[in-house]
Amino acid sequence: MPFWLEIEVLLLLTYATGVALGWLLWGRAPRKPHIGE
Amino acid sequence: MSRPSLALLLAGASAVLLIGLADTQGPGAAMIARLQAAARASLDHDGAQSISVRFTDDHGWPTRHPTLAGGERLDDATRAQAAADVAALPGVGGVRWAPRASGHQSAASTSAAALGCQHSVEGILRTRSIRFTEGSAAIDPASGELLNEVATALRPCVGSIIAITGHTNAQGDEAINLALSAERAVAVRDALASRGIDMAGLRAKGVGSERGVSGLDPADPANRRIEFSVLAPASLEPTPVDTPGAG
Repeated sequence: MPFWLEIEVLLLLTYATGVALGWLLWGRAPRKPHIGE
Repeated sequence: MSRPSLALLLAGASAVLLIGLADTQGPGAAMIARLQAAARASLDHDGAQSISVRFTDDHGWPTRHPTLAGGERLDDATRAQAAADVAALPGVGGVRWAPRASGHQSAASTSAAALGCQHSVEGILRTRSIRFTEGSAAIDPASGELLNEVATALRPCVGSIIAITGHTNAQGDEAINLALSAERAVAVRDALASRGIDMAGLRAKGVGSERGVSGLDPADPANRRIEFSVLAPASLEPTPVDTPGAG
């Protein structure tokens, strides 16, 4: 496997993990209802 | 997912890709150069100056998995030690040998392939065995699937001599046991031939009860078995047609 592909796969996996973790921790939180809703 | 956040996600991924590419150009190239120097030093230390090491793949891309070439005059132990030492360097991935310039498979790699086949067959037969009808050489139909697996495992070794040895336990008349073990080995040979393994490379032999499983009582029924051993063939000189890129 060429070196650039190893780096890209690792970085993209790390990025995807970070995005997934962020979504799990904060992305799913219910929005605060607006006043009057 | 809303449109702006998807765009943000893709922008992030692209940024990661770009950072990765930039990283392989600068620090990555420096790292590969460092690995190359360390591998060279390791080979020289092992007395394998005639072996060259290349940290680029078949397409010319830098890689952590080096290709070793040359050193044909060195003995197999030195070559193996040199390759193992290069592979043990921190940061180096798996090491492989470049095919010989003449296109021949080396004797070492042929016997390694033969050993590989034998290991896979032994792995298959470790927990299951080829069953025969009591007192006869007829293979139990239930063993058909197992024979299929054995044939698949032996297929990479077609061209090698594959010895099939039948064994029995020490119960009963030895002459009958000997004949039965030979008949069973022949039955397995024919079964493998019918599954596409070249008959020319198969050798069937029965040894009766003379070679029991070590540690077992000679009368133990577990001594009844079929053993396979894959012997590397006498090196065949490839014709130019067999050698890709030759001529």
